[in-house]
Amino acid sequence: MTNVRQISVFVDNKPNQLAEVMQLLKNSGINLRALSLADTKDFGILRIIANDTDKAVKTLKENSYAVTVTEILAISIPDSPGQLSRVLDILGAEGVNLEYLYAFTGTSDRSVSFVIRVDDNAHAADSLTKGGIIQLTENDIAEM
Amino acid sequence: MSNYWNEEIECMSYEDMRKLQSERLVAQVKHVYENVPYYKNLMDEKGVTPDDIQSVDDLHKLPFLTKADLRDAYPYGLLAKPLSECVRIQSTSGTTGKRVVAFYTQNDIELWENCCARAIVAVGGTKEDVCQVCYGYGLFTGGPGLNGGSHKVGCLTLPMSSGNTERQIQFMTDLGSTILCCTPSYAAYIGETLHEMGYTTDDIKLKAGIFGAEPWTEEMRHEIEKSLGIKAYDIYGLTETSGPGVAFECSEQTGMHINEDNFIPEIINPDTGEVLPDGEVGELVFTSITKEAFPLLRYRTRDLCVLSRKKCSCGRTLIKMSKPMGRSDDMMIIRGVNVFPSQIETVLIEQGYTPNYLIEVDRVNNTDTIDVNVEMNPEQLSDKVKDMQQQERALAEAMKTMLGINPKVHLVPPKSITRSEGKAVRVIDRRKLHD
Repeated sequence: MTNVRQISVFVDNKPNQLAEVMQLLKNSGINLRALSLADTKDFGILRIIANDTDKAVKTLKENSYAVTVTEILAISIPDSPGQLSRVLDILGAEGVNLEYLYAFTGTSDRSVSFVIRVDDNAHAADSLTKGGIIQLTENDIAEM
Repeated sequence: MSNYWNEEIECMSYEDMRKLQSERLVAQVKHVYENVPYYKNLMDEKGVTPDDIQSVDDLHKLPFLTKADLRDAYPYGLLAKPLSECVRIQSTSGTTGKRVVAFYTQNDIELWENCCARAIVAVGGTKEDVCQVCYGYGLFTGGPGLNGGSHKVGCLTLPMSSGNTERQIQFMTDLGSTILCCTPSYAAYIGETLHEMGYTTDDIKLKAGIFGAEPWTEEMRHEIEKSLGIKAYDIYGLTETSGPGVAFECSEQTGMHINEDNFIPEIINPDTGEVLPDGEVGELVFTSITKEAFPLLRYRTRDLCVLSRKKCSCGRTLIKMSKPMGRSDDMMIIRGVNVFPSQIETVLIEQGYTPNYLIEVDRVNNTDTIDVNVEMNPEQLSDKVKDMQQQERALAEAMKTMLGINPKVHLVPPKSITRSEGKAVRVIDRRKLHD
């Protein structure tokens, strides 16, 4: 299974909330690989991929944050026009419903990585493999 | 072992109680008329003299006292004994700008502490018990009242006062407290902290709690009982009449027995002042028939409740009052609809949330708005925004069903709403700023 664990944190939509989370992670020596913030006018959901998921979750929970861990897919594709479109076409053709995605940078300047959140990980992973898309493991990401 | 502190009074027949009340009332009215010019004027204006009051049946002839009277007569205007005979004052917080100062003679303190002792014995308290009192001590009546009652019963009394919750739990585990006295919101917080500190109910010896001084719901009772592994009992009182112990709950947990040998209750229509029969909802009115220094006659409490003389399985014959259904101080009128914070609390607990919330009422473009901030349930966190928004909508929908108006619900992080160590602040009404 190539699924990667993503941590979601509930944050108040008020000044300094994100800074507090970052401070906590910094103090625990956690390095972030990918991050996205979805916000409403009341609250935000901070989604992160960390180099040490268990430690990050423990730190956040100890500080009374609401935290949930979700399995997502991570892919690496060449940094050239039309590549993401190809990925979406594959998923679309297979009827996989995409919830959200966000990009992050890896170590290579010739490829780009994406977090993909779908309703059916197994189905999506099979489709991507068949379509020749490189998927990243949690270990791959931690070692980036 | 007796389950009563004063069996003769607590199980007295209705006829004997009426007779006792009548004797005491007649003497009290005379005492007040002769010693409190403020109340004498009210009686004179109404054309009532002490001779018109021959028994409890004549009670309705007396004029009411309200909180406004207490403010007008502040500080000494309702005092019925020389200061040389008074030994104590207690006072309300005065957060609404209406501070009440009540006076006590030595005998008043005795009577009050005996009322509290009845409450402690009714929940199973004996001199073998360790009673942890975490109501505030000082001007607030909670601490001194239960402290005095606990002494009377002979419990080992822990005069903790409120606050410093970890220390409360340390004493509770180290000394094996068996009875807890505090506000229900603080009891809930103590329970929450206990579990956070890694303890379970096996680590404490609590068996009962006496919780009052603020309105609370049956749902909250169940939460506290579960979290602390106890039976949770209600207690009622107000500074104006003495403090906690005016009424107390027994093992049946279906309302509070009023110490009617000291306080005669009436239920009135709050608009007309007309006395209503037992069983009807109305405003609770008390007449203190034993207090010497600060004897209020027909004092309007603003608490809405029901009285019942239904036979109680505990054997007490003292009349019972329901949990107050609301207090005009808490009642919000939003777009013409009466809303009580307790209704919102009920919805939250039903939907799996903690009873930690803050209601903000405001007026925008001449329309009242109500916003309810609710601590989200960490178990229900989703990485998808639409799921979280769905939770807000579901809560708003449930509140709309309960309240009849449409509130805006905002999820906030766990533990972000300030916990209370005394009376919880549940409502911020900004409409007053515009008036």
